[in-house]
Amino acid sequence: MSALALLRHLWRRHGVALLLLAAGGAFFQWAITRVVPEASQTGFVRQLFDMAPMPVRVLFGEELVANLSARGFLGFGYVHPFPLILLGIWAVRVATGALAGEIGRGTMDLIASRPVTRGAQVAAAAVAVFAGLAIIWAAAWGGTAVGLAQRPLDGVAAADLLPVAGMGLLLFTSAGAVALLISARSREGGPAVSWCAGLLATSYVLDYLARVWSAIAFLRPLSLFRYYEPQRILREGVAGADVAVLGAVGAAALVLAFVVFGRRDL
Amino acid sequence: MPPTAPALSADGLSKHFGPVGALHDLSLRIEQGEVFGFLGPNGAGKTTTIRLLLGLLVPTSGTATVLGETVTLGGARWRADVGYLPGEVAFWPDLTGLQTLDFLARLACRPPVDRPALLERLGLDAATLGRHVHTYSDGMKQKLGLVQALQGRPRLALLDEPTKGLDPLVQQAFYELVGDARNRGLTLFISSHVLTEVERLCDRIAMLRLGKLVFAGDVEEVRRAQLRRVVAAFAGDVDHEALAHFGTVLEATPRRVALLVAQAELPALVARLGMLPLADLVVEPPSLEEAFLERYR
Repeated sequence: MSALALLRHLWRRHGVALLLLAAGGAFFQWAITRVVPEASQTGFVRQLFDMAPMPVRVLFGEELVANLSARGFLGFGYVHPFPLILLGIWAVRVATGALAGEIGRGTMDLIASRPVTRGAQVAAAAVAVFAGLAIIWAAAWGGTAVGLAQRPLDGVAAADLLPVAGMGLLLFTSAGAVALLISARSREGGPAVSWCAGLLATSYVLDYLARVWSAIAFLRPLSLFRYYEPQRILREGVAGADVAVLGAVGAAALVLAFVVFGRRDL
Repeated sequence: MPPTAPALSADGLSKHFGPVGALHDLSLRIEQGEVFGFLGPNGAGKTTTIRLLLGLLVPTSGTATVLGETVTLGGARWRADVGYLPGEVAFWPDLTGLQTLDFLARLACRPPVDRPALLERLGLDAATLGRHVHTYSDGMKQKLGLVQALQGRPRLALLDEPTKGLDPLVQQAFYELVGDARNRGLTLFISSHVLTEVERLCDRIAMLRLGKLVFAGDVEEVRRAQLRRVVAAFAGDVDHEALAHFGTVLEATPRRVALLVAQAELPALVARLGMLPLADLVVEPPSLEEAFLERYR
């Protein structure tokens, strides 16, 4: 009962942000379907990519460049920084606002002095983070589906993108769990936001640099983004090892968040 | 909870924040239906004590019980019967006053049966409750804090500086609320700097200093233990040395003497004064403030 009240409270506080982020994700993926080159245009686009320096080709995904296709373009839409930032904003905002933010604001005393267990507080925050991520990503996939319905592309169905969207959701669910862990041990919302955003950005940059700079390629497995490669998923399907790594990181972070928050001073 | 169980108890409760000791070996017992005052200067450990009693902090050592149940971080059931006003009350700025009260009532799992009466007494009207909390003054936030703590008619209320920021009229309304709550058998634990308020409202008090309990007992007991200030004025010159053995002479002129006298010495002093050309006599009632100052000087 109290946990449900807490969940409703989180939705009320973040509902507008959720709508905006979901609309942003949906519009972006819909827009991608509008700019995917027709088969007749791919030669020109390939020339453009060939002229681009290697780091830029890596950014887009070398497989996309090598096998220029509508599927590849749509897959690129799911690894573009814009939708990733939308998901990151939600994960960090809700995870840090629900625990560290309440402590820093001084409102945690009002919540924690009522019959709400610490576990229920973390659980409510986790449900809000994960459900919000699912809604944003579902809206994004919905944007792809609507776009493909309006502009059918040869050999591409919106369902082809579902495994990609699923892995993207798993990646950010895992990142959201890490954000919850950081929030569970912080005393203020601001520093928790900085840590979470810094960690996500570092992970993204590390993955990118490790792909363009062979000297640090061995560091790539340390980045969560290493386990989310839309082009490879479209080509080969979801890799079980990637699911296992992201799932394990998310589960471990979530368990630790419960343990840390359950034992700390508020 | 058995009828004889204390509403609240602490046994050897201590809290250290790193190397800093905030509370040392506190033992207290507060009976059901009691209005208990908790006194101490800033940094004495009052808020730390309350937060330990609510399970918001992990004690370094010791245990506490609230309404018969041992306080643990995970335990939550007993909190349904507890109302709490934090010393630095903070709300969600983007919620209205009414949304805040509704949310906190839902969290407490108790219907807000006393809300209408509290709102009326404290002067919070519907228009004010419809505004976002970020538009509230400190006094209005404090009123909202009192309403959220007491709206569900809890069995025990812990109020940290309850009249902070309230104007005298609303303070008076709060005193009446405490009187009503006492009549209904609510146990109140009031932390305050306002000694006249504690003196007026509380049955018993505890005083903390540097995290240590320096006194716990009846307000009357404190008063009795206090020296009375006696001021005698005379129609003619007197030798104040004749009165010196009754207590401590604070000031003396040929026609006026002020002394500090123990309660037990008062009858003998009055008898002696009757033999002198007494023109006026004032025996000032002992105040909690003097007791407080005496213990903290």
